[in-house]
Amino acid sequence: MNQTLTILLESAVIGALIGFGASAGVARMFHAPKVQGMGAFRTLGELNACENDPVAHFSFGFGFFFNAWASAVGTGALTSDVDHRIVPHWAASLAMARNRDLAETLHNPRRMAFFGAGVGVVLVSVLNTTAASIPHSLQKVAADVLGPASEWLINPVMPIVFWMAAVDAGRRTGGWGTVLGGLAHVVMGNAVPGIVLGIVVGKALDDLGRTRVTRVLVGAVVALFAVSAVLRGVDLQLLHQMKVDAPGWLEEFHRATGTEPTD
Amino acid sequence: MAHAEPGAADGAAAVPEGPGEAAAPAASGRGAKVPGEGSFWLSEWAFPVFVATLAAGIFAGTHLYYVYRTGTFSDVAVTAMLKAGMESGSYGAAAAFGAGFLFARVIEGPMVGILDIGGSLQTGVGIGVPAMLLAAGVTAPLEHFWLALPTGAAIGFAIGALILVIRRATVNSSRNTSTFGADVMMGAGNSAGRYLGPLVIIAAATASIPVGLGSTLGAALFYWWKKPLTGGAILGAMLFGLFFPLTGK
Repeated sequence: MNQTLTILLESAVIGALIGFGASAGVARMFHAPKVQGMGAFRTLGELNACENDPVAHFSFGFGFFFNAWASAVGTGALTSDVDHRIVPHWAASLAMARNRDLAETLHNPRRMAFFGAGVGVVLVSVLNTTAASIPHSLQKVAADVLGPASEWLINPVMPIVFWMAAVDAGRRTGGWGTVLGGLAHVVMGNAVPGIVLGIVVGKALDDLGRTRVTRVLVGAVVALFAVSAVLRGVDLQLLHQMKVDAPGWLEEFHRATGTEPTD
Repeated sequence: MAHAEPGAADGAAAVPEGPGEAAAPAASGRGAKVPGEGSFWLSEWAFPVFVATLAAGIFAGTHLYYVYRTGTFSDVAVTAMLKAGMESGSYGAAAAFGAGFLFARVIEGPMVGILDIGGSLQTGVGIGVPAMLLAAGVTAPLEHFWLALPTGAAIGFAIGALILVIRRATVNSSRNTSTFGADVMMGAGNSAGRYLGPLVIIAAATASIPVGLGSTLGAALFYWWKKPLTGGAILGAMLFGLFFPLTGK
């Protein structure tokens, strides 16, 4: 009981924070690129798709509420849909329940932030506290079905989608995307960050050429890959797999910093 | 997920796709009740504040998961990486995965005008940063709620400020003419979510025959009703799993 109460209270605070921040960021997206927003491109597309209809917003969020609930029950992960879909859509639905003017509702960070905070308090509390009261058979189905599906989505489906987008966007983007994508899977365990960086670098080179901005960009990307590789012990693993004896100081360095290969 | 289907918009005003661009210019402040471009809510320095609140919530969510095994704001597969680290003590995979996404999105965010919270905050701050802290033996921010909040807020504020700095140096600099691939990323991000529905059905059919049939039926009904089919696939699988439980391993 005591534990449930703790979870409930902490969830309420967490929900208010994420609802406030996410909804304000989402409203700001409609003012991009003039104003820096946060959310996701798909969130923007989905919000536009049910524009001006509170019922459409609500039912769209509702579908993903079950998704998040099932996942929370089975695995304790509330899924990224909470911030991306449920909170923005439900906040939008509430915000425009009585007023359909987009500029005053969905595009208004102040109104969205407060409705979002309210949605967040209820949503996160419900998701976190009801999970324990769900029958065991449901938990098992949720874990066995959603687990593999979302694993496949993250790898290899998402990398392929981004990869094809990079390849279709031009030779330079495709080239950078392919090289950084492959390296990213080696170094970070997922190709998506590499492909995203490949698209940014490729497009920047297309549009700007070799300027100070693009050179700094490429330098930062190279530094990221090098640091990640060392942190994950990829260098050591590479030498092992090529049947080359790693120098003692390198092994010692990885042991001392706790960055030995993990898998 | 299924927003590219017409089904996502079962309301009256089904604006046909065309995300973003159509809405952005129409939005710029009008009406007296709306905060204008110059007000706090749309100002440049409000951005780190919003990132800080969201990051504080997400980081505290990971604290909840660390202590009570529920509450991360990441997807199942990503959370599983952190869980593997918590069980085995080696956080390398989760740390590199999270940090990689965080970095890529922080570079991308200011250039395209939208920070992707999935990669930067949910995966980066929610999984990557905690994994790095735990790998370094720092457990306090994850064990105590009132320490988790300021830690998350500080990280979020730093990320927000960094994005503004990058934005000044690139997009807002006078000679810039590039969108840094915003359109490409928009297309890919939009279509990636659509794949979850079919994947759920495949996973359900692999788990057991009744669950697979239920998932297929649910998805078909939702599609027929013009709702995102992912929701139907999940509900169908859960419903059939309740009556025909999966046998243990």
